Amino acid sequence: MSGARDVVVVGGGHNGLTAAAWLARRGRRVVVVERRERLGGLAASEQFHPGYRTAGVLHDTAAVRDWVVAGLELERHGLERRVPPPVLVPATDGPGLLLERDPAAAADELARLAPADVEAYAAYRSFVERVAPALGRLTDRPPPDLFDPGVADLWSLGRSALALRLLGRRRMMELLRAAPSPVADWLDERFAAEPLKAALAAPAVWSTWCGPRSPGTTANLLVAEAAAGRPVAGGAPALVRALEGASRAAGVELRTGAEVERLLLDGPRVTGVRLAGGDEIAAPVVVATCDPRQLFLRLLPPAALTGRLGRDVANYRVRGTTAKVDLALDGYPELACRPGFEAEEIRTGESLEEQERAFDAVKYRRFSARPVLDVRLPTVESPELAPPGHHVASILVHFAPYELEGGWGEERNEELLEAVLGVLEAYAPRLREQIVGRRVSSPADLERRFALTGGHLHHGEHALDQLAVRPTPECARYSTPYPGLYLGGSGSHPGGGLTCAPGALAAGAVLAE
Amino acid sequence: MLVVERRHLLGGSAVTEELYPGFKFSVCSYVVSLFRPSIIRDLELPRHGMEILPLETAFTPLPGDRGLCRWADAERSRREISRFSARDAEIYPEFSLTMTRAAQLVRDVIDSPAPDPLSWDPRELLRLLRLGRKLRSGGSETMHLNLKLLTMSAVDFLDMWFESDVLKAPMSVSGIIGTYQGVRSPGTAYVLLHHYMGEIDGAFRSWGYSKGGTGGVSLACARAAEGFGAEIRTEATVERVQLRNGRATGVVLAGGEEIAARVVVSSCDPRLTFLGLVGEQHLDGEFCRQIRRYKLRGSSGKVNLAVDRLPRFEGRDGTDHLRGDIAIAPGLDYLERAYDDAKYGEFSRRPYINVVIPSLLDPSVAPPGKHIISMFVQYAPYHLKDGPESWPDQREAFGDAVVETLAEYCPGLEESILYRQVLTPWDLEQEYGLSEGNIFQGELSLEQLLFQRPAAGWARYRTPVRRLWMCGSGTHPGGGIMGASGQLAAAALLGSGEL
Repeated sequence: MSGARDVVVVGGGHNGLTAAAWLARRGRRVVVVERRERLGGLAASEQFHPGYRTAGVLHDTAAVRDWVVAGLELERHGLERRVPPPVLVPATDGPGLLLERDPAAAADELARLAPADVEAYAAYRSFVERVAPALGRLTDRPPPDLFDPGVADLWSLGRSALALRLLGRRRMMELLRAAPSPVADWLDERFAAEPLKAALAAPAVWSTWCGPRSPGTTANLLVAEAAAGRPVAGGAPALVRALEGASRAAGVELRTGAEVERLLLDGPRVTGVRLAGGDEIAAPVVVATCDPRQLFLRLLPPAALTGRLGRDVANYRVRGTTAKVDLALDGYPELACRPGFEAEEIRTGESLEEQERAFDAVKYRRFSARPVLDVRLPTVESPELAPPGHHVASILVHFAPYELEGGWGEERNEELLEAVLGVLEAYAPRLREQIVGRRVSSPADLERRFALTGGHLHHGEHALDQLAVRPTPECARYSTPYPGLYLGGSGSHPGGGLTCAPGALAAGAVLAE
Repeated sequence: MLVVERRHLLGGSAVTEELYPGFKFSVCSYVVSLFRPSIIRDLELPRHGMEILPLETAFTPLPGDRGLCRWADAERSRREISRFSARDAEIYPEFSLTMTRAAQLVRDVIDSPAPDPLSWDPRELLRLLRLGRKLRSGGSETMHLNLKLLTMSAVDFLDMWFESDVLKAPMSVSGIIGTYQGVRSPGTAYVLLHHYMGEIDGAFRSWGYSKGGTGGVSLACARAAEGFGAEIRTEATVERVQLRNGRATGVVLAGGEEIAARVVVSSCDPRLTFLGLVGEQHLDGEFCRQIRRYKLRGSSGKVNLAVDRLPRFEGRDGTDHLRGDIAIAPGLDYLERAYDDAKYGEFSRRPYINVVIPSLLDPSVAPPGKHIISMFVQYAPYHLKDGPESWPDQREAFGDAVVETLAEYCPGLEESILYRQVLTPWDLEQEYGLSEGNIFQGELSLEQLLFQRPAAGWARYRTPVRRLWMCGSGTHPGGGIMGASGQLAAAALLGSGEL
């Protein structure tokens, strides 16, 4: 025991560590309590087969915010960024598309598929670049209070509106038109090449309850594009190491294997947490980075949940649609469409229609026989995750619904794995014989392992209403109706993914009190 | 003031046609929805013969069951709903009350011109502010509700209240009428509000049949217009808008007749108006690009039947349950599968059908003892896999699928049919001049509403061509027999000083 604490942070994932380090660097005595035996949450590296480690469940680090990296001086703790690798959309006939973010670098590949797309892609990139700062204003600051705005909120709203206006007439209207549009419509207007549209649309529908034809998905695309920066060298595990280093250096006490059983309340005011096993930690401030349902329905004493908040939390949508497959491979899975090329990032779902059909299954509580895959081969960059010459494939399997007809279980996991291998084999014919180990995690498994309601990797669906007010009106600005209790995970503005923004913004809200 | 109409009769999609001796069909639009009370008063339409007979019930037949019927009588509805969920039956009145309150917002939106976020004019900024204030009037709970209504899917929204599929399915369909979306597509919740507008308009629901057929509304308007001195010509096809020095000076009819006028107002859809009647060569490239990408994918068709007896639904006697709207929407998955067919270029094998039997409330439209069954059918996508031009080959197969679907709920239907008319989106385009057969002259999706209908910066009825104006459903606030676009356009034109 190390005396009195100012803040307990519930959850040692990327947002929990960010919030803790942020607060400790500003003089608060902070303890992080993490249920699992290791830090990092969905970003943690784990051994899934003897000698083979994952690069986290969430494997994309390109959206980690620069201002968080600077604010926590993560570079002093070993964090480095690198140039984003190109994305491969493989094909069964022909070489597929290797897409670079930089339009000049992408030109040759695009010209081969559809000459008109070279210019269209450059225009798209320039549009994204121009609107990114305006979107950043919305995503990287505490959201203004829409419901009971004070002067500061009106000022902030006015500034955001002005930022939009200053984009110029055409860009502003394009942004307003794009946001509610189905990503399929918006991309169809711009591009001819199906693999290009598929590559761009995929991140807009991953981990949502939407297909490319669902309205509002272009907003997801633009937010993702605006946030896409340079990935962390060494991936998610390296991010966790840097956050842990920064936390320790700032004096944060890190406790793993410490599961919070209940929040302690005095009237409505939070006074600390009680751990499983009976230990109590007293603190005037608790920052919960677990998902909002876990917080309000499991950690809060049931009697304390008031009518409206209870209803809003129950209505908050957390239907997970993503599973994870980790493969241990005895070599790089050679791609028939690009012999000799070692892609780090592969997106399947060659067309918008294929992605839409994969989503259709979710509506009927099934998973598609052809799920959409976000495949990373982190060992191309970080060979230490596997024995020499061997590789791991980190696969997010999209459109595998938590709410599966008949429920998840060992057998269904195997069926899902078969579906995944079926998709990949078409591109990497030798894949099956290269597998030396594997782990399949259904959304139900993810829920169990990470205390993740609905197995939802983003702690709640990214839909327009749940992005604008996240997770509920009373809790949209990190504070809650319970004095001293704050939210700071992916279930808060600006949402999920490895951004570290909710944690840092929540810390800011605590400091502002 | 001269009105020119291509067809032999007035009304456009709101027409009554005697397609089969003694049967007067409301061929396309079949119910009057949200017709603006101010227009009815202003033009004294009842004096010119307009009479609306309200739809009283909402019936959802189910296979092997007597189905669910919602009545004007709240207690009777409660009993019906409680067969499927006691909880839903209890919440139902509260839901209606909440929605009626929220519908206030819709009324404000459809009764005034779209706000213009591009303008630096303080009056416009004030209007925007006022709209913002309206969104949050009623406190944070109402505002959160409004946010959800604007962005959520109809099903997700209804899920917050109800548990029974049988109740949610027929309620959710009002969110998809005329759209190329499914009941689970985000953005479809908003249209649910339209069903609660009637209360505020002061009438007992403003959904109803026009006596004598939908054409009655059009004819009443025509008589009112003539009463004020307007001249009306039918079978006068406008070939193009006459331009001089970039301004409209009149129209040229097929056959070469030129009609000069100070102002031309087009109620055709934006694609037809600009790419057809004006011509791309006279328009700025960026504006053309906007019009070209304006989405008009038609998704619905119509099947009209003349029958020699009323359909009989399982477990229901009498005719009370047939006097309103009958929805073939036996479940949410059913509706979603109907949409899936359309997404991949086929008409729904088992479609959503909105059935009405106008002859039951208005015997004047059919011979004694005989009836008209009017069916609005979704989905019938304009863009079939083999192209829209393959519709004529598939028309009868589509008609068969619709009749078979309904017959599953009322056996013997086939034998009662005296005459059948099948209208596909292709027919709506060919015969009624609706591009891609879109019944609302453009999809009613968020990105094509308000200040973006039909194009950013051109949502106030004015066009880039001077003295050419728009007043159709392709302008704010959109389609349905509302009259709102025409009314707002006329007001804007009068205020412009161009007349």
